[in-house]
Amino acid sequence: MLMALFHILIFPGLLFLGVYGLIMAYLDRKIYARLQNRQGPPWFQPLADFLKLLGKETIVPELANKKAFPFLPVLALAAVTTAYLYIPLWSMSSLYPFEGDLIVILYLLTLPTLCFFLGGWYSGSVYAVLGSVRVITQLFSYEVPLFMALLTPALLANTWSLSGITQYYAAHPLYILINIPAFIVAVIACQGKLERVPFDLPEAETELAGGTFVEYGGRLYAIFKMAIDCELVVVASLIAAVFLPFYTGNPWADFGLYIVKTIVILFIFALFRTIMARIRIEQMVAFCWKYLVPLALIQLIVNLLLKGVLA
Amino acid sequence: MAKNLIEKAIDWGRRKSPWIIHFNAGACNGCDIEVVDALTPRYDVERFGILQQGTPRHADVLVCTGAVTLQTKDRLKQIYEQMPEPKFVIAVGTCACTGGVFDGCYCVNGGIDSVIPVDVYLPGCAARPEAIIDAVNKLLASLEEQQKSEENTDE
Repeated sequence: MLMALFHILIFPGLLFLGVYGLIMAYLDRKIYARLQNRQGPPWFQPLADFLKLLGKETIVPELANKKAFPFLPVLALAAVTTAYLYIPLWSMSSLYPFEGDLIVILYLLTLPTLCFFLGGWYSGSVYAVLGSVRVITQLFSYEVPLFMALLTPALLANTWSLSGITQYYAAHPLYILINIPAFIVAVIACQGKLERVPFDLPEAETELAGGTFVEYGGRLYAIFKMAIDCELVVVASLIAAVFLPFYTGNPWADFGLYIVKTIVILFIFALFRTIMARIRIEQMVAFCWKYLVPLALIQLIVNLLLKGVLA
Repeated sequence: MAKNLIEKAIDWGRRKSPWIIHFNAGACNGCDIEVVDALTPRYDVERFGILQQGTPRHADVLVCTGAVTLQTKDRLKQIYEQMPEPKFVIAVGTCACTGGVFDGCYCVNGGIDSVIPVDVYLPGCAARPEAIIDAVNKLLASLEEQQKSEENTDE
């Protein structure tokens, strides 16, 4: 019982995830700045932003839903933290593995997106409502390729458990090469999940003045920002666990390897953010359904055929 | 009563992370170009933690340019009121400070301080990007002094 509380609140739960989320947010901004040939923020910047937002006045707009508006940021952070508990970090098995935890993680990662949608919808601002509509439109286009890309490796491994998938691919390292198209699809679809450039339409500062978060300020926005930073860590960890299953057997070395893997994935994310511009919403939907879904489908067929051959 | 650790940490955060929002109260666009210029990678204001925000709800510093016209007077007041406390205002350009050459015009209300309180006045026609960054830094320095004096008088 005490151990479970320790896992939820301190390591690898809320505290560690929060600190690592701030570090990842810093690295993201620093890499982005260096790629633009500028100095970038100092190392404590995300922490300073977080503390400042915590100390600011919290305003709940008159038109907003008084109950849902302050509750949604907390729900988003809680969902992300819960998802993190089911991802393998320092060994091939997560803390609480069970058959089907991959699907639970994917649904827990959908919850923050729904919170962004409802947060914007309930805040009573036209900009926020427009952002919310975009959140949901985007959800319907990236969710299908993302799920297919993450579930096809599971198909080959013949298990729905993330730990099982990791163990299968750690035992057969060459099979990782088969999943490269799925990896590409997953990384691109995650840009939509994390609402980053080129799929940052819901926030779209220049058009929607901050999109779904227009009315959020102070402490509530701090929690939302923390949830976004943590989501970045969780998504990077999930991709690392499914597509990069390299382990040494020593927990400390594996933990170091986990940090390296997530930073490599973060670097890919930051590269995307630097070299691309924001596209329009219908271009985003068309791209996801025309290119990502067929690529994921081909991967699915290949994996189905291979499963027959290898069995 | 001395400030405790949490209050000190929040004070530190305030000094290190000024998020700005830019509002044109009726400028000739000269100062606006310079504000936008200051936000480009060339000047890299992210070094000081300065980020531009789209909405007043996220911002700490309102960067205002231009003399206040009768049309923008109410909007300026609204945007100021939408910002959460603590909030600061920088008047960029001579027109924002005093009304400049437009002072006394039939449609001009006056400088920014005729509508909302201003913390830092930055004259210049147009104010240079370096001067704008310096103005934000001066604001933060005065904030630090204020925080320190608060601490001393409280004790």
